[in-house]
Amino acid sequence: MADIGILKAAIGPVSRLWRRPAAVEATITGGTPEEQARRLFRDGLAKFRGGDSAGALADLDRALALHPDLADAVMTRAELLDSLGRVEEARVGYQRARDLWSAMPCGGADRRYLFRRRGQFAFEIESYDVVRSNVRGKILPQLAHGNALLARGRAAEALDSYERALKVDPKQREALALKGEALSALGRYAEAIALFDGVLASNPKDVETLNARGIARLASGRLAEANEDWQAQLNLLPASSSAARGCVAMRLGNHSVAYAEFEVARTKEPDNGYWPLYRLAAGRLAGMVIDAPAVPGDGRWTSLLLGYLAGQVGEDSLLEQAISGDRQAEARFQMGVAAAATNPAVARRHWKDVVERGHPALIEVAAASNALARLGS
Amino acid sequence: MFSVILYGRNDSHGYNLHKRAAISFNALAEVMSDPDDEILFVDYNTPDDHPTFPEAIHDTLTEKAKKVMRVLRVRPDEHARHRLQTHLVALESQSRNIALRRSNPRNRWILYTNTDMLLVPRNKGESLSDILGGVPDGFYQVPRFEIPEMLWEAAFDRRDPAGNLEKLRDWSVRFHLNQVVHNYMPMKYDALGDFQAALRDDMFAIHGFDESMILGWHCDSNLAARLALYRGRVDTLVDKVFGYHCDHTRVAAANNKGRATRMNDQDRYIWNVATPYIPEQADSWGWPEVEIEEIRLDRDTPYQRFTAGLDRAIEPATLPFIQSSLDWHLYEDLTYDLPHTLPFVCDQVVTYPRNTSLMLVAARADFVESFAKAWQGMGFTGPLLIPQECEGIPAGLPGVERAPFDVQLAKAELFVFEFGLATQTPTEPVRTGRGIAPLDRKRLKVVERLFKRAAAREGDSRPEGRRTARRFIGVNVIYNKFWTTFTNHVGANINPFCSQVLAGPPRQDDSMKGKVLKFRARHSI
Repeated sequence: MADIGILKAAIGPVSRLWRRPAAVEATITGGTPEEQARRLFRDGLAKFRGGDSAGALADLDRALALHPDLADAVMTRAELLDSLGRVEEARVGYQRARDLWSAMPCGGADRRYLFRRRGQFAFEIESYDVVRSNVRGKILPQLAHGNALLARGRAAEALDSYERALKVDPKQREALALKGEALSALGRYAEAIALFDGVLASNPKDVETLNARGIARLASGRLAEANEDWQAQLNLLPASSSAARGCVAMRLGNHSVAYAEFEVARTKEPDNGYWPLYRLAAGRLAGMVIDAPAVPGDGRWTSLLLGYLAGQVGEDSLLEQAISGDRQAEARFQMGVAAAATNPAVARRHWKDVVERGHPALIEVAAASNALARLGS
Repeated sequence: MFSVILYGRNDSHGYNLHKRAAISFNALAEVMSDPDDEILFVDYNTPDDHPTFPEAIHDTLTEKAKKVMRVLRVRPDEHARHRLQTHLVALESQSRNIALRRSNPRNRWILYTNTDMLLVPRNKGESLSDILGGVPDGFYQVPRFEIPEMLWEAAFDRRDPAGNLEKLRDWSVRFHLNQVVHNYMPMKYDALGDFQAALRDDMFAIHGFDESMILGWHCDSNLAARLALYRGRVDTLVDKVFGYHCDHTRVAAANNKGRATRMNDQDRYIWNVATPYIPEQADSWGWPEVEIEEIRLDRDTPYQRFTAGLDRAIEPATLPFIQSSLDWHLYEDLTYDLPHTLPFVCDQVVTYPRNTSLMLVAARADFVESFAKAWQGMGFTGPLLIPQECEGIPAGLPGVERAPFDVQLAKAELFVFEFGLATQTPTEPVRTGRGIAPLDRKRLKVVERLFKRAAAREGDSRPEGRRTARRFIGVNVIYNKFWTTFTNHVGANINPFCSQVLAGPPRQDDSMKGKVLKFRARHSI
């Protein structure tokens, strides 16, 4: 049954903290527009909870002027407008926030849970910061805070949160694994691997840590050992986790397994554009003759990649939309797939590019590494 | 689109449970529009001889509620495995996981709420199915608004959910009901357990509710903590639906003892949660190995089974009434009217699992014949175990197994002992001062001996794996010579003579007299 206010009594000061005075103007002005927007969002949130609706609305509007796609601010603004009776405006905001979150990229389905989620987690970063200031000496607020930061690429701050959690319980296995993830994101692979080794020594069936150690090992140039981890992960993942199994198989370059798993995954999750793309790529690399699938005309990045592989989108159009490092790697990988059957040299060139420039956590980087290893140097 | 998961038992949890539960069941069904939608009610630990809670209030439910509701019945014997570890009679985590395991796999969402909630879509034209169908994957909560007890108790019509939702739209404005109570993360709102919508896939991935939480409270917060970690965010549906709670604190519920309330450790289950997963219960959550009975309210109901059984066994009465008497001098007369008594016997057994093995020890052959017909007619598939020691039983009765008493004792899950006169004919009047014939005496002696042995040995002769005491039903044991015999060994309530039936578990009597009685019964002295 539902909780009563016992918890509330336990950490009463939280409500007071929400009502803390908004940060002074001077703190808003430094940093990138995104950083400024985040600070304005934080202050708007505090004012909203503190009952200063007008001040909150002003801050949130300023935040959104600097960063119109800051979905957390869009959502908070919608809640504020809703509470003020501006229901129609609010409704538009709620929907826009959900659309923005849905359009955000997320990590591979085989990775640790926190990388598989979409969002900016600005609200969570602020909220858990408040909680951890008040619920001291506990693990959850630190880990949740760290996860929100790490998911946003703020690995150094995440590391600090995880270390605070480990001060509470230095042997806490999950906190050690998360610290390893933060270290890996910071490029401190040897330290990360050492932590992952310890976690896996106590629980060899921890599939998420096997994946993480594989990535760190790959980044350290230890492809064979990375493959051992991913193979172990693949062996442990249940048959029902078809998307995760497909992703690991893709990393390993086990194309026939990847093809079969993505065939199931695309049926279970028809809205995920990666599954038909990876299925087609795996099938091609396995030497199968596959009819080009119907390519959605929704302009999504995955649709462009699929269109490229199906011969409906040109290389230049694809690269034009490859506006981030990750997208560059994804595009180059598929260009390698397209060339593999007819021109291995071109495929090798693209895949080398993926390996040299892509983030080690990307499925494409692992898959390209294994493809290159098979082609020989 | 979604499965609503609720739990409870046929007891009196809090003030006017029946009304608020009926209001809630009907209102939840009212906002369903997808053919796959379902309400899963786990009826946890209701005594075997009681109907489940929804069955007990079925007449107050709408046809739609009855159609979408699946009742999953967890018997006391299943709960007994936890009985020594908890003071509670209903376990939330286990109940919700049992439902999750058995939920419709076609449904994308699982909605966790309670039997006192009404959900009001803000857009009148939308159902909750529409709402959940239109939002992205996530973990959603809504704030809970309270309804003063006077309002829901006095003004709601249980069977008019649409009208009740309309009233709430009106009251929310007139009486300022809508107050959002924010909470600290990961609990987005206060009283979060009354609306937590999660993907079914996510719930399977994180291994359901934590089944080590057996002291009550905070199960919802633990789920929120783990899903907040897993999903990264806790989203709101406050723009789509308002959730109203029928306040019921006039009388404290059994799990609310004020400051003395025992509860699960907050630190362990909320603030020191470190992972969404519970690998220790990955293969066992929701009791996948246990066959859980499923009961529907729109078909094959206990009433239908009860009447089907009796229609097979007895003909309608041809007289306006029959007569019996409590006159003192009739105390020794063991005649009784079988067609009148049989419905009360069937009433004692109809709520038991259909595969129950029932030991039937009887003196009257016509009772055995009639009961066997009724047993089959009620849809029971378990055997009727009639000890070979009972003589005069017709051969070839369907579903009857004959074997020595000692062999059958360890198979029986329920007992019926009938103390009638083997020589009574169907047409003779009852309780007119008839004597006991030698044949009657012989047969009754067997029934009495087997009854005493069964009662005395109940605790050490249970079927393998059974943890709870078996129930004894005595037929023709009120206000006659077997009244004392039966109640010396069975803890039965006082029943009206007219029913002719007493029932209960074996009596626990640790006095010297009780011990002597038990010893003598065990050895049939």
